Amino acid sequence: MSRERTATTDGAGPKPPEQPPSPLKTLLRPIRGRIRTAVVLQGAASALGLVPLICLVELARTLLAEEAVDTARVWLLVGVAVGASVAALAAGTASTLVGHLADNDLQLSVRRALAHRMSRVPLGWFTGRGSGRVKKGVHDDIEDVHSLVAHTLPDLASVLTVPLVALVYLFAVDWRLALVSVLLVAAGILLFSRAMAGSMAKMAQYAEAMNRINSSAVEFVDGIQVVKHFGGHRRAHERFTRAADDFADFFVNWSRSTTPVTVGSFLLLSAPTVTVVTVVAGVGLSLAGWTEPASVVAFALLAPALCAPMNVIGSRVQQTQAAGAAAGRVTALLDTPTLHQGEEPPPPESRVVFDGVSFSYTDHTGDRTAAERGRALAEVDLVLEPGTVTALVGPSGAGKSTLAALLARFHDADAGSITVGGADVREIADLYRTVGFVLQDVRLLRETVADNIALGRPGATREEIAAAARAAQIADRIEALPRGYDSVVGEDADLSGGEAQRVSIARALLADTPVLVLDEATAAVDPVSEAAVQDALSELARGRTVLVVAHRLTTVTGADRIAVMDSGRVVESGTHDELLSRGGRYAELWRAQGHRRDESGADQ
Amino acid sequence: MIRAFLSALGPEQAGPVKASLALTTAVSALQGVVFALLVPVLTELLREGPRAALGWVAALALVTLFYALLRTLSLFVNFRVGGAISRGLHRRIGEHLVRLPLGWFTGNRVGELNRVVTDGVSRTTNVPVHIYPPLADAVVTPVVAVAALFLHDWRIALAAAACLPVVWMVFTLSNDAVGRNDAARDLVSDEAASRVLEYARSQPVLRAFGRTEQGGRSLEKALDAEHGAARRLLLRIVPVMLAYSFAVRLMFALLMVCAVLLVLDGGLDPALAVALLVLAARFTHPLATAADQGAALRMATNQLDRINAVLDARPLPEPESPVLPRGAAVEFDGVTFAYARGDDAPALDGATLRAEPGTLTALVGPSGSGKTTVARLLARFHDADRGQVRLGGADVRDIGSEELSRHVALVFQDVYLFDATVAENLRLAAPDATGEQLDRVAALSGLDAVLDDLPEGWDTRVGEGGTALSGGQKQRVSIARALLKDAPVVVLDEASSALDTENEALVTRTALELARERTVLVIAHRPATVAAADQVVFLDAGRVVESGAPGELLARGGRYADFVRTRERARGWRLTASDATTPPTPTTTEGHENDPART
Repeated sequence: MSRERTATTDGAGPKPPEQPPSPLKTLLRPIRGRIRTAVVLQGAASALGLVPLICLVELARTLLAEEAVDTARVWLLVGVAVGASVAALAAGTASTLVGHLADNDLQLSVRRALAHRMSRVPLGWFTGRGSGRVKKGVHDDIEDVHSLVAHTLPDLASVLTVPLVALVYLFAVDWRLALVSVLLVAAGILLFSRAMAGSMAKMAQYAEAMNRINSSAVEFVDGIQVVKHFGGHRRAHERFTRAADDFADFFVNWSRSTTPVTVGSFLLLSAPTVTVVTVVAGVGLSLAGWTEPASVVAFALLAPALCAPMNVIGSRVQQTQAAGAAAGRVTALLDTPTLHQGEEPPPPESRVVFDGVSFSYTDHTGDRTAAERGRALAEVDLVLEPGTVTALVGPSGAGKSTLAALLARFHDADAGSITVGGADVREIADLYRTVGFVLQDVRLLRETVADNIALGRPGATREEIAAAARAAQIADRIEALPRGYDSVVGEDADLSGGEAQRVSIARALLADTPVLVLDEATAAVDPVSEAAVQDALSELARGRTVLVVAHRLTTVTGADRIAVMDSGRVVESGTHDELLSRGGRYAELWRAQGHRRDESGADQ
Repeated sequence: MIRAFLSALGPEQAGPVKASLALTTAVSALQGVVFALLVPVLTELLREGPRAALGWVAALALVTLFYALLRTLSLFVNFRVGGAISRGLHRRIGEHLVRLPLGWFTGNRVGELNRVVTDGVSRTTNVPVHIYPPLADAVVTPVVAVAALFLHDWRIALAAAACLPVVWMVFTLSNDAVGRNDAARDLVSDEAASRVLEYARSQPVLRAFGRTEQGGRSLEKALDAEHGAARRLLLRIVPVMLAYSFAVRLMFALLMVCAVLLVLDGGLDPALAVALLVLAARFTHPLATAADQGAALRMATNQLDRINAVLDARPLPEPESPVLPRGAAVEFDGVTFAYARGDDAPALDGATLRAEPGTLTALVGPSGSGKTTVARLLARFHDADRGQVRLGGADVRDIGSEELSRHVALVFQDVYLFDATVAENLRLAAPDATGEQLDRVAALSGLDAVLDDLPEGWDTRVGEGGTALSGGQKQRVSIARALLKDAPVVVLDEASSALDTENEALVTRTALELARERTVLVIAHRPATVAAADQVVFLDAGRVVESGAPGELLARGGRYADFVRTRERARGWRLTASDATTPPTPTTTEGHENDPART
């Protein structure tokens, strides 16, 4: 049976076998039965594959017999040979089918399970390297497991079956010659394992050199603009060239240091050598009268089968290990701790209270970047009265977005509590019905525009969706799309940043929650669409309890309350005029933005 | 394939690579000879007994020894050539990349390049080491063995020779199909992965709208569809994969039947027949693996095509006799440029503008009006299709890219920092900068405040791509870096995305400071910057619609004045629940009607 992926056998790299770690077993449990079937079928296919050769030996005996040729036996042997060959093919095909189909189901169930888990982990988990890890899990790791299930395990079955069956037959034919070939193969294996042992440490170095070249290549390509522009080609380029040279040197040195042993084992275990040695020995033994010439035919045909698998075992073992590591990562993803799910009904009113809230981004996966060091929020107290607009202002990194994110329970506070209408957000069952969110990072899904708007209310009618779009000042643009509301984002709906933002505002309008969080909704928008976005936002804010993360002070001078944050604390709060006359941090920020002390909201 | 290979490697690698491939081919041919010599050995042994076979045995042993030596040599050579290929390809790609126009490096290209430089090169390195040798064994050895059959019995040889083209045909067909299937399967699997990834990345919004269940359901539908597609592909490909194996087995069965018929007919010596069948068995085994080897080679060839596509990309032409710019005046003279050839709406359409040293020019206009393109053409990311971009009186195409990059400093919208310390990232612009120089630009760019917050100040490592710093912090590093470069022309992209209010004010201040003696162009978003500019250039749809001093333009009441009014409206936006003209909608929550906090 031909395979899609090849075992490139170098004999120079692989490590000795190891027990596959348990995460792999856990992962494979649901398809264990089918893997076994695939393995057994492949084993059978390999054994059957030897039958034609055995038939050929018997055919030789019959044809060379002193007495008259037994024609019936001849044709029987030919028939068995052809039949076994076809049967081997059938069994191999069945094994491929069973293995691949099982793998296909496994991929589906793993991806489903990952998605299910992802909807329940704290959002903080996704920051940093989270989404890279998810990508590795859903793509690369699943690919590794695929190789194992669909290719490696069945191949290992043939690796074991073929020499075993051949050995039994050869010993039955002539034990002396069999011994010769066993000795030869044993010597080959001995050399092979010495080559492997030597390459264990080298293997780690190889991976290291490979990693270095990967990351310097990524850096080189990602930073090419900077590299070129600052005329620093030579230097940034140098890092890359050095990594490339190191790798090439390593490759050459490594092969030089291991090849004598590797080449030895390669030669001892290759078909021509094994065939020739056994044939020469066979001729010698028949000279001595210890074996009959026909037995030599058996060895010429079957002795190479003893060592054939050795050529693939190395890469197979490597693949098994890779799959084991991949499975470990996948199961770790599947075991990520989830957020506690509350059960209380939506609160009857919308007064929001932050009470001594502290939080830090030492996230739950143990990752920490320098920027996230320390506490993001320290004992924040803040009350949002129903129906009012509260603005969070302050320098970047002050904790504004973090505080807003906690209200939507993207994270859970480390200490303190956040309540809406007296109920802790951690205990409210469907928090999204109470707290709406217009995010800084607008993300539209690859679905229709209508579905994107109706995200918060899947049952909404087309009229309701259109009404929300009109209120968000985006209806005209949507109607101009090739398929109107049925255009798919990213396919035939190519929306600019400002347009996407208005879609997300329409979304929040339709969701119609009593509490609303707006996060830096005006970033990265050109002035024309910004005006439209802000008209839409004003519409959205009407009559709700609103927390707005602002970075232009002028937009929030009219807020009912402004809370000034710095280093994770609320340092001041009050109305624009109060804060300005106090002459504290807010007044400082106001001046830093180029306003005069008395310029209290130029456009009022 | 070989041509693609040699073209990727360049002329200096061609010799060794050809030698390595030729040697490997010779070794495989010799292996065919070894197998062929089994025929006389076995025939003599079976017909006359062991003593008669001794001469042939000696020949067999000798040729095998020679084969072993040659194989050893070829293994060593292949490894060495593999190393040289890895080094040569990386260098060639690296050197080529720095000569390509920056406009070439679009988002998709960068991802593709990463794959080419890592996966592509390592697969190509493997061609002489791991991919070609088994392929030669699978193809060359059987061909030599079939040729040897002719020495012994023309009928069996003819049968085998007749089979080879058929086997070859099936091989090509199944190979193509498997290759296509692999590509299709990868697509399906990538699509499934990207669905899950989209789901992961959209978690904030999905959760904010309680759509984890529904979102999950549509994801599930997508995953189901992909699962079904993969299944259908599999069921379609299995018969094709079967075909080749079947053809090879059929060939062996045919030879067996032929030989038996001839022997029973008395037309063929049974001993020779057995020996020939042993040879047939020996060469059908490698032949059967040819499909696998072919698939591996196919994948390597695909990678090679990608590498060649990169190496074939045309670098920007460099002038033969570079002209030095005189002064730092920037001029665009009827410049037209489209990102895609034949684009109906060019990014710049006959744009003409002039920026003098010691002035600040604000580029203003709606998004997509061509502001960023002006900056890109000035830094020669691309060359203009028509018209001229001049710096200090010299066409930028005549200045030479190294010299040009000394004259123009860009503060990028997307800041990229290298995984090194803050100081090292700055020194990229001026390798020999002193500590004082660093401190000076830090003070000017507001980087000093950032350094105070960083655990190790200048020596803080910024992580890959600068991930350890916030957007605002990275922006300041980028500004400082551009300042350190000390170029006479500075282009600032005042993208508001990464900026907080303090950074914004800082950029304006920096721009004004720089404009005292340099030519400064700002892609402006802030009214304060625009108001402070010496000249406003208002762009729309790639054309310069208006230009002049900001006050003058405002008074003229044209497009710029309109634009500013819209902007004023945006600034006038108020988030307050207490606006009398906008009564609360009845759908919202209770409690606010008599809320004392509202004024």
